[in-house]
Amino acid sequence: MKFGIFYEISVPRPWERDTEKRVYDNCLEQVMLADELGFDQVWAVEHHFLEEYSHCSAPEIFLTACAMKTRNIRIGHGIVVCVPQFNHPIKIAERTATMDIVSGGRLEVGTGRSATWTELGGFNVNPDETKKTWDEIVHCLPKMWTQERFGYEGRSWSMPVRTILPKPYQKPHPPLWVAVTSPGTEIDAAERGMGSLGLTFGSFKEQGEKVRNYRRIIRNCEPVGEFVNEKVSTVNFLYCHEETEKGVKHGRRLLGTFNFLAAQLLAAREAYPTKSYPSLGLLPTLRQEAAGPGDDHGVPEGIAIGDPERVLRACKNWESVGVDRVNFLLNALETIPQKDVLESLHTFAKHVMPHFRDENQAAAAAGGR
Amino acid sequence: MPPRLGKLDAEAFAKTGAREILGYKTEPWTLKKAQIVNLNHEIDDDLGDFLLPRTMHPAIPAYATFTVIVCAESPVGAFALGEVKIAGRAGVRPRDFVLCSFCDNADARRELAERWGYPTAPGDVKLTVRHDRVIGSITAGGRSVLEMEMLDRDMISGNDIQYLASMHLARKNDDGQLVLVQVDPEFTFARAERGRPLIRTLDSVACGDTGGHLKLRNPISMSYAIADIALPKIRFICDPERPAFQGTTRVAA
Repeated sequence: MKFGIFYEISVPRPWERDTEKRVYDNCLEQVMLADELGFDQVWAVEHHFLEEYSHCSAPEIFLTACAMKTRNIRIGHGIVVCVPQFNHPIKIAERTATMDIVSGGRLEVGTGRSATWTELGGFNVNPDETKKTWDEIVHCLPKMWTQERFGYEGRSWSMPVRTILPKPYQKPHPPLWVAVTSPGTEIDAAERGMGSLGLTFGSFKEQGEKVRNYRRIIRNCEPVGEFVNEKVSTVNFLYCHEETEKGVKHGRRLLGTFNFLAAQLLAAREAYPTKSYPSLGLLPTLRQEAAGPGDDHGVPEGIAIGDPERVLRACKNWESVGVDRVNFLLNALETIPQKDVLESLHTFAKHVMPHFRDENQAAAAAGGR
Repeated sequence: MPPRLGKLDAEAFAKTGAREILGYKTEPWTLKKAQIVNLNHEIDDDLGDFLLPRTMHPAIPAYATFTVIVCAESPVGAFALGEVKIAGRAGVRPRDFVLCSFCDNADARRELAERWGYPTAPGDVKLTVRHDRVIGSITAGGRSVLEMEMLDRDMISGNDIQYLASMHLARKNDDGQLVLVQVDPEFTFARAERGRPLIRTLDSVACGDTGGHLKLRNPISMSYAIADIALPKIRFICDPERPAFQGTTRVAA
């Protein structure tokens, strides 16, 4: 079990000159600390037009800054919206290869297709098409990275033979992931030999079922890349404090703020009837009631907020259902002061992470990496 | 900074835009094989805030929903209902605020208002199905309020359609209290189609938008369906002047 951090980059109104800069600076400071503390990955989403919820429209820039300021933490570019109107596939291949080079081979590439009308409508994208374009692009991407010359004639995009440069530093190429929001997308990930980057909660039972299904199907996959990335990540909130009351109070505020912001967005399915989006996308994402019954404090059992003992229990539960990594959302709308976010990371690293350290991490903690 | 909320002056709007509701104890109705044509259209974000009560947050982006429903059977006989709704959020729940509503059957107008707070006015509401399009229209007081067309009809599954629960501004008959009544019908689909949306006519003043706030922007989608509609018991009401998180009351299980 490994731990990462996950950024939407949520910026509160009023948007004054320094507001976004302050939030970005805070995020970078958190990433630097997470690197020092032994967190394994930092992920940043790609979102557009999502007022307050996410001002992370150029994650490749933010993540490059993260790479420049850190030594070990892996850089999760995800998800990259694999829809040509958002990102031309050639640019995805070039950009990710460059990020892999400058990060010294620390890139992870998450793929997806956007789940809101806010974004799809903004780029004039037909929601019926996004799954097909995503599928085409994830099949092309490893070839664009690994073949000296590449040409393609497809349904959603085509190109004559050219040499796409640069090539990734990691060989044969960076690990590939799929954002799993809609039910059944974990199967798409497994069939293509890609990691499952879970972005929603279910009950432990439901999640366990999905993980078993994923691992069963991936055994017979046809990998889009040159290797199979059999990994299951899930996303969670983190607020860890030695005082239970403070941990729960701050954590619940984070949870409530995030859920409120997510609900204001316009899910693709709400506005546009289509079988392409069977779930409400971000709307039920991480919603409190989806994460199981609450404890004495009203905190669902799967949420990593509260005192270290409680957070440890939640993480152990995720481990027990087969999840390999939990990526934590640390803040929303800056509702938790920066010093408390940093303190929460310290507390988690001190009291919870040691219960999960494998040999490599232990060696790293001892200065051996 | 507090979150964005609607800016509608509910008391002022209620003078023409609210009917009396007779308590919250209505029995459910089932409307068999209703035809529904529904168009979603983005509207101006900033102006749109003035069309939502202070209970609700605007969707991002703001959008309006235009609906025509033809019910061949109901406890008061056949009727047709046309509505203009502004989508928003009550807390974290997607909801439509009914800006205006027209109905061609006087008994239905009275029952819908008294039972569920529908703000219905008299109007001629029509739904026409042609081989290449579905047309919905509302005419009231001799004026064309709405003409919309669904072009390039295409079959889809009813599971793909999501209608939002609606919020009706109504005045309770016994104490005169102004409330937002949440009505969350259930739909059992027999047929569903989707097509390209087109609004030919919209008289926003006739829809109660006297301030010129309903400005159409980007069209989104249009659907046509045949479905059984279960109009339920009322479960929640909201204070139209307070955010839903603070001002929601459960009135039935």
